[in-house]
Order: sequence, then structure tokens, then C-alpha cells
Amino acid sequence: MRIQNTLRIALRAIQRNKIRSALTMLGVIIGVASVIAMIALGSGARASIDQQIQAQGTNVIFVSSGSFGRPGGGAVRGGAGSVTTLTLDDAKAISEVRGVTRMSPMVRGRAQVIAGDQNWNTSVEGGNEDYLAIRNWALASGANFTPRDVLVAEKVCLLGDTVVRNLFPDQDPVGQVIRVKNLPFRVLGVLVPKGQGQFGQDQDDLIIAPYTTIQKKLLGITYIQQVYLSADNSDDVERVAVDITRLMRQRHRITNPEEDDFTVRTVEEMAATRVQMANTMTGLLMSVASVSLLVGGIGIMNIMLVSVTERTREIGLRMAVGARTRDILRQFLAEAVSLSVVGGVAGIALGVLVSQGMTWKLGWPTMITSTSILVAFAFAGAVGVFFGYYPARKAANLDPIEALRYE
Amino acid sequence: MSTAPASGEPLIRVVDLRKSYVLGDVTVHALRGVDMEIGAGSFVAIVGASGSGKSTFMNILGLLDRPSGGRYFLEGQDVSGFDRDRRAILRNRKIGFVFQNFNLLPRTSALENVELPLLYDGHARSGEDRHRKALGLLQAVGLGERAHHTPNQLSGGQQQRVAIARALVNDPEILLADEPTGNLDSRTSVEIMEILQRLNREKRITIILITHEHDIAEYGQRVVAFRDGRVVSDRAVESRRDAAAELAALPALQEEAAV
Repeated sequence: MRIQNTLRIALRAIQRNKIRSALTMLGVIIGVASVIAMIALGSGARASIDQQIQAQGTNVIFVSSGSFGRPGGGAVRGGAGSVTTLTLDDAKAISEVRGVTRMSPMVRGRAQVIAGDQNWNTSVEGGNEDYLAIRNWALASGANFTPRDVLVAEKVCLLGDTVVRNLFPDQDPVGQVIRVKNLPFRVLGVLVPKGQGQFGQDQDDLIIAPYTTIQKKLLGITYIQQVYLSADNSDDVERVAVDITRLMRQRHRITNPEEDDFTVRTVEEMAATRVQMANTMTGLLMSVASVSLLVGGIGIMNIMLVSVTERTREIGLRMAVGARTRDILRQFLAEAVSLSVVGGVAGIALGVLVSQGMTWKLGWPTMITSTSILVAFAFAGAVGVFFGYYPARKAANLDPIEALRYE
Repeated sequence: MSTAPASGEPLIRVVDLRKSYVLGDVTVHALRGVDMEIGAGSFVAIVGASGSGKSTFMNILGLLDRPSGGRYFLEGQDVSGFDRDRRAILRNRKIGFVFQNFNLLPRTSALENVELPLLYDGHARSGEDRHRKALGLLQAVGLGERAHHTPNQLSGGQQQRVAIARALVNDPEILLADEPTGNLDSRTSVEIMEILQRLNREKRITIILITHEHDIAEYGQRVVAFRDGRVVSDRAVESRRDAAAELAALPALQEEAAV
């Protein structure tokens, strides 16, 4: 029998029992919709991580004092940043490593800042004139501080968007003076907002100033906490990170890697961990969603078995007028697959709606990809074939005489 | 259509046909060695009480079932060992079935019921071709006007005529009618027999009629009686009934005038 006839018969059989068919499909619809929504959630999470990496600069490497490595050795170990062995000389040496294009020392503290009758507690980051470029910060207005400002520890600063909104609600801050721990800082510029960071923190709640100024006037330290670097291209990042590690061990005379008093990390490395986390989560949710698809398949099998029983006479008649085993098999398989595929299409539509709803109502990033739609569609079809085969086989193997006599 | 039977070979020849079933621990011998020849173009009535083996015989002749012993030659070809699918193909091409309970697909138009065998004959036809062929046959049985009615909108006689049209759609050599008048009143029965006699006479279709009513059997040329799985009598009908003449003698009915 030709395929279009098979399909026509199948679709008609489905239409005949509209409510029953709809309920049967519901299982597949829910299964496919949840698969689609879960993939969308996973892709959305990955995409937003990618976006954050872009925001940070893809080829950024940072060297922190202290070690994130496994506990080991006998020495008392502080956390990252608690060790004071990272120096400006280290930073300068690191900047000589092949492939490093920009380098900025970094120190960080928190301070109460005051402007007029407003005050705000914020993070104060110190870097050199390249810090903005490395961190992928752009200026909304004003200008960056100069190498000379860094050299002489000038009391100048750049304000993040959140700080601007809190200190200068309706005023242009550029050229104004703010007080940081009671020292007057001239505002040179305002940063373009970056929005939420990787962990939902407000990336715009900060002040950036020359690191020399922060070291001497705010923190009273001579060491540095981190070194930020950018490599000339992102393919080179791994190699540069390895070279820096080697160089730092040499400079700090470390033979056992477990005793490292510094940590070299790349932004991509950090992102990779999070992508992996997102993947694990997506995988978990997907398997739950697949279970509902499986249950939907069992629903199809159930209703197909009922249908075969109800239509035993019809099967017998079709056999009497010349339907072969494979004609009957195909007819019932086509019916099962039609149920699952129509359910699949509806499920995809519902899944897209649910994904958009999650983004809209809950603010979770989601992304619908054509791959996920294809995968869900193929999955639905496969469910139909798998769960439709047994009932179809049962129909095809009926004895024509008994089927004709069936009451 | 089909190749002509080898010279001297009848359309149907069965030799020592046997069929037994195992029901639990009892073996039922439904056929205990039947020999018979049916020539092309004949009209044979098979009679017998229930349990006589006539239905089993008809199922084997109709290739719905396989004999457990003996031989069945259809157009000279031994078909007794054919598997399911080969029998299905032969049924589709050579045999038309008419059943006591009509066996039409419910909620499906008369036209599509008639088209059913065409779906399985392996020819790639357009829907239009199928409709044309089916409609022609419905007209031949006087139901051209009701092609789009579903079975529940048709009377018993009309339903049986749809079933006859369906049996004819693949131009079969043989029409097997299993108690075709069993669910019909006497006038409608005569109408159905008129159609069968006309098909036999005009199209030379071989008719095998299974019935337990002896007066219905007398529409055939030959009556074969079964008892306990054996043929107990096989005789030509002396005064054959003519359905067309009987109908003409009956007063016309309102319903028939409307067709």
C-alpha cells in the first residue's frame, strides 16, 4: 500500500477518537515540551556564561596570591589574598612573558565613599592605566587615568554605574570630588554598566583608581593582591598561563607545586567549570523530562492496544480483501507515529512557550536552538515507532478468520 | 488479469482436503477428506448444518485458512502451502468475499468501503481512478446515488450490495458468499440473489454460495451438501430458481422506486 494511503488511514483513525487521541498525545506533548524547555534552559545558561566571558575579556589571565590548590604540605595556609608574597616585581617579570600584551597589578578594598550629602559603601579596585582595557571596561564619559597618575599615586578615580546612581542621583559626576575614607578623589570618568556578574553580583558597584593610590593611601600596603594580564590571542592563553606558573615558581623558589603561594587562572577555565555545572544540571533535568516522554510512549502503546482490540473485525476484513502482514503493521505503526509526531509538534510549541515564560516571569536565561527542536522531534518519532511496534505487530499477526468472527 | 487455467484443469480442484483443529486435548476433524472440482463460470451452493465443515471448506477455498492435509489447486496451481502474504495477494486478485454480517467499515462511506481492496493490490493509482472504479460498481448494484452514505445510513440489503461491489472491485474470478442472505428479509434476499445470478451469467464470475437454507441454494446450478466434514451429496439443481423472474412477479416497493 502506498505511503500516503497509509497516512490517510492513520490520520482518519486518530480523528475518529478526538478526545482519546488528544489525551494520548498529552503524554508526549508534556514530555517533549519539558525536554525542549530543559534544553532551552541549559543552552540559555551556557549562552549567558559565554556572554559573561566576553564581558570579562576572553584572553584574560589572573595571578592571585595564595593557593586554591589541594591542601597539602605542612605550612599554615591562608586563603587567596591573605598571602602577601606577590610583589610589583613579580608583576613586572610576568609582563615580560612571551604572549602577554597588557599587565596590571590589582589591589582591592572596601570603603565608605561620600559625595555631598550622599554616602555609599563600595568596593575600591586599584589598577594601572591598562586595567580598564584588560577587564573590558569602557568609559561612558570622562577619561581614564594616565600613567603619570599611577606613578605619582594621584587621588583620581572612575565610578561604576551603581556608585554614580547612589552618589550623584541627578548630577554629572565627572570633575566632581568624592571622599573615600575621608580623602578627596577627583572623578575622572564614569564606566559603562556591565550588569550582573557570573554569580548575580552587581559588577557596577565599584570605584577604580590607580593601584598606587589604593596601596599607599587607603590600604597602607606595599604588596599586590592580583596581577591581571591579557594574552595576545585566546588560543595562546593556556601556554601563557603555564609559562607564568613556571616563572613564578622560579621567582618564589617553589619546588613542590603543592606549596604554591600563588594561583594562575584564566577566565575560560573559570567559565569551563561553570559550563560543566550547567551541563550537569541540564543533563539531570533532561533525564527527568525524558522519563515523562517515556511515560507518554507507554500511553501510546496502551491506547494502540485498545485500538487493535476494538478494530479486530476491521483488521480481519482488511486481511480478507488482501492486506498483507506488513500492510497492517504499517497502518498501526503509522497511527502510533502520527500520534507521537503530532504530539511532538504540539510539545515543541508548548516547550517554546514555557521557555519564554521562564525567561519572562522568572528571568532565567533560555535559548531555543534548532538542534533541540530537531532532537525533540526525532525523539517523539522514535517513541512512536518503539511503543507502536508491539501493538502493530499484534494486529498484523491476527488470524484473519478469528479476526473476522471477533465480536 | 490471470493466466488461463491449463487445458482441462478446472478453476478449483481439491483432493482429499482435510482440516483438523486441536481444541484443548480434543482434536476436531472439521474436514475429513473432501474431493471436489468447480469449473470456471459455475454457480455452486454449499449446504450443511452448522458444524458440517462447510465454513471450514469455504475458509480454505477463500485462502483465509490452510488445509492440514490434501491439496488445493487454484487454476492448476497448488496453493495449499502458500504462506500468509502469498495467500493475501491471491485473495486480493482472485477472490471476492461477501459475508453474512456485511463487514463494512463503520463510519466510512460506501465508496471508500468499495475502494478498500484497491488499496492493497500493489498498483499505484490516483484517488480519482479508485473513486471512478468504485462508483461504477456501486452504480452496477444500484447504489450510485448513495456512494457517500455510511453503512449506518443504509438498509441491510443496501449494505450487502455495497459489500458485493467491494468484492467485485478487483475483478475476481471467484465470489465467495458466506450466508449472504442470512441477515436479510426474503424480498431483499431475492434481490441479492438476482445480483449474484446476473454476475454469474453476464460476467462469468464463479459463485460459491454457502448457505443452510435449501431454497436459497436452489438459485445455484449445483448443490453440494456437507455433513460431518464430508461431502454427502453433489447434484445439479433440476429446477433452478430465477431471481430476476421472481422479482418481476413481486409488487414494486416504495423504497426501490426511490433508488
